Amino acid sequence: MANTGWDEFEIGAMLRSFDGKIDDIAGTLQEDRAYSPNNSFVASVADWRIEKPVFNKDYCIDCQFCWIYCPDISIIARDKKMIGIDMDHCKGCGICVEVCPTNPKSLLMFPEQAEEEAELANWPAKDEEK
Amino acid sequence: MLEIRWHSRAGQGAVTGAKGLADVISTTGKHVQAFAFYGSAKRGAAMTAYNRVADEVIMNHEKYMKPDYVFVIDPALAITTDVTINHKDTTKYIITTHLSTEELVKAQPKLEGKEVYTVDCITIAVETIGRPIPNTPMLGAFMKISGMYDIEFFKENMKRVLAKLPQKIVDANMIAIQRAYDEVK
Amino acid sequence: MAFDKMELRDVEVWDGNHAAAQALRQCQVDVVAAYPITPSTPIVEGYAKFQSDNFIEGEYVMVESEHAAMSACIGAAAAGGRVATATSSQGFALMVETLYQSSGMRLPIVLNVVNRALAAPLNVNGDHSDMYLGRDSGWIQFDAYCPQDAYDLNFIAFKVSEDHDVRLPSMVHQDGFMTSHTAQGVTTMDDDKAYSFVGEYKPMNDMLDFEHPVTHGVQTEEDWHFEHKARQHNDLMTKVSPKIDAVFEAFEKHTGRKYSQVETYDMEDADVAVFCLGTSVETTREVAREMRTKGIKAGVVALRVIRPFPFAKIQEAFKNVKAIAVLDRSAPGGAPGAMFNEICAAMYAAENSPLISGYIYGLGGRDLTKAHLVDLYNELEANVKAGKVTTQLQQFIGVRGPKLAYL
Repeated sequence: MANTGWDEFEIGAMLRSFDGKIDDIAGTLQEDRAYSPNNSFVASVADWRIEKPVFNKDYCIDCQFCWIYCPDISIIARDKKMIGIDMDHCKGCGICVEVCPTNPKSLLMFPEQAEEEAELANWPAKDEEK
Repeated sequence: MLEIRWHSRAGQGAVTGAKGLADVISTTGKHVQAFAFYGSAKRGAAMTAYNRVADEVIMNHEKYMKPDYVFVIDPALAITTDVTINHKDTTKYIITTHLSTEELVKAQPKLEGKEVYTVDCITIAVETIGRPIPNTPMLGAFMKISGMYDIEFFKENMKRVLAKLPQKIVDANMIAIQRAYDEVK
Repeated sequence: MAFDKMELRDVEVWDGNHAAAQALRQCQVDVVAAYPITPSTPIVEGYAKFQSDNFIEGEYVMVESEHAAMSACIGAAAAGGRVATATSSQGFALMVETLYQSSGMRLPIVLNVVNRALAAPLNVNGDHSDMYLGRDSGWIQFDAYCPQDAYDLNFIAFKVSEDHDVRLPSMVHQDGFMTSHTAQGVTTMDDDKAYSFVGEYKPMNDMLDFEHPVTHGVQTEEDWHFEHKARQHNDLMTKVSPKIDAVFEAFEKHTGRKYSQVETYDMEDADVAVFCLGTSVETTREVAREMRTKGIKAGVVALRVIRPFPFAKIQEAFKNVKAIAVLDRSAPGGAPGAMFNEICAAMYAAENSPLISGYIYGLGGRDLTKAHLVDLYNELEANVKAGKVTTQLQQFIGVRGPKLAYL
């Protein structure tokens, strides 16, 4: 948000989440919500990433661990099914990979510049010792 | 300006007595003040409470006072403490004791030559209210000595002040006030 | 849920604490979160009793400390309720961190501060140490001199604080014991008349407005913090004072009782004036009148509003006076008294240059007697005659031992 002067913002240590009145916000998908410019939804942290998570749906069991643990609400789930990662808000911390319980993992970290298709094609095999 | 100092022990009801007196006097259009000296006192510690009464708004908040009346509602305090401090020639003393006025003055020479009245508020309270809370009987004695109000008027008003208490206790207080009024010498 | 109304007599004999508790009841405060402390305890105890006896539709929240009390008040105020509490002394000191939170978050809480000394040594009696501790906290501070003021100023505080142009919390100060436990006649308002003065609470950016979600208590660093503090200061300096004047005027229309940000007594032709706060103001008024019968043109000036400091009104009050004694009832801690400094600053920028001397008095509830004040006025008169301050600038009144004077 713009660095406005002392007389140009609402009083109080207070920020609005949405522009104007909202209705049935729980039933409205994030991308359809009228977030205010103050809301961190409009601030991308994509450029913070050195590594990025890649999601392999072939191994995912939809346990929702990654959805719960992601500190930036960047796991996109619909009807309790993991469908992907919000790459505008993922800062590349790798927690989703840490908590993923499948063998092999359904989420792995790769360098930011890695090609997703190539990495999916070379996904590690099941670790038999585990 | 009429000024009164109460000598009491914490828990004997001097503050309640001072506030009750102020409440009754206030209904007659006079201005009143009731306060006390507190420390972090335990029940039983000696303490003092105060009344001021005037025709104008009372602005004086100093604690220093040369009282017109001194009420002593604990029998030992007249002996063990100096209840005559900051006195005037005209200060009147109403003291709770089982002693006669003469015996009391003999026991406490500082009261020699002073206008001293005695009444046994403790015994009256025990016999009427059932507990040694000598504050309301003291006010009955004060009504007699000062002639401030008709005793019936005073009792009616005290009923309102005490209205939070059970009816039995209120009734007992009325008897105590009347007895002290009749018995003070 | 309906609540009962209470029958009050036109004049009730109340101490300052009960007067404040009755005002909280009549304002129908939604939430009181409190950790009781002497001598303010009966205020929150009173609210709790009224609430449990169905005289209030509200919540009394018991907490584990004064810090938690103000924290809960902040939560309740941010949620959108009319909120109040009370404290004193050590409790106030523990509350300080959250005082800055509530003013910075612009939450219109009313805090009754029953002024009491700060330990060590431990002392439950009245002085202004805790009141002075609130000076820089960004709150509005009202000062009561007697139980009637303690009652009235609570209504005024809610009305000022809750105004959407103000939205800053208020403290209503009264002197521990000397006001809080001193019963005097208080002219009351009936419940409807009292409530109609403050009116229904109008929330602003409340968290319970689910159609307009807000985040309260955000973090700012050097990029935003200064602007927020500047805004708060600007509003205290420019918006609050006219609002207080308007509310005082409305209150006078409502009740006939008049308050001013700077209270002046016998100042029309005064040569010498005593400046003080709290119950001392009234005692000093009485002495000033007596001094006039002895040929000394004595007056009294006092603050009704300590913050925002009424700088220009102070200059106006002292514009013709020749000598001023400024009384501070708080240990100065190695400096001139705080009010001495503020009065000096105001008069330094004024056209009139009176002689100003400072006095420290009344710590830990030490009595300020009329005899002290007579001496004080005589000393001021001597200063006027000499054309200079004949004593040191800072003196102590009423302390045992050799005379203390500095500067």
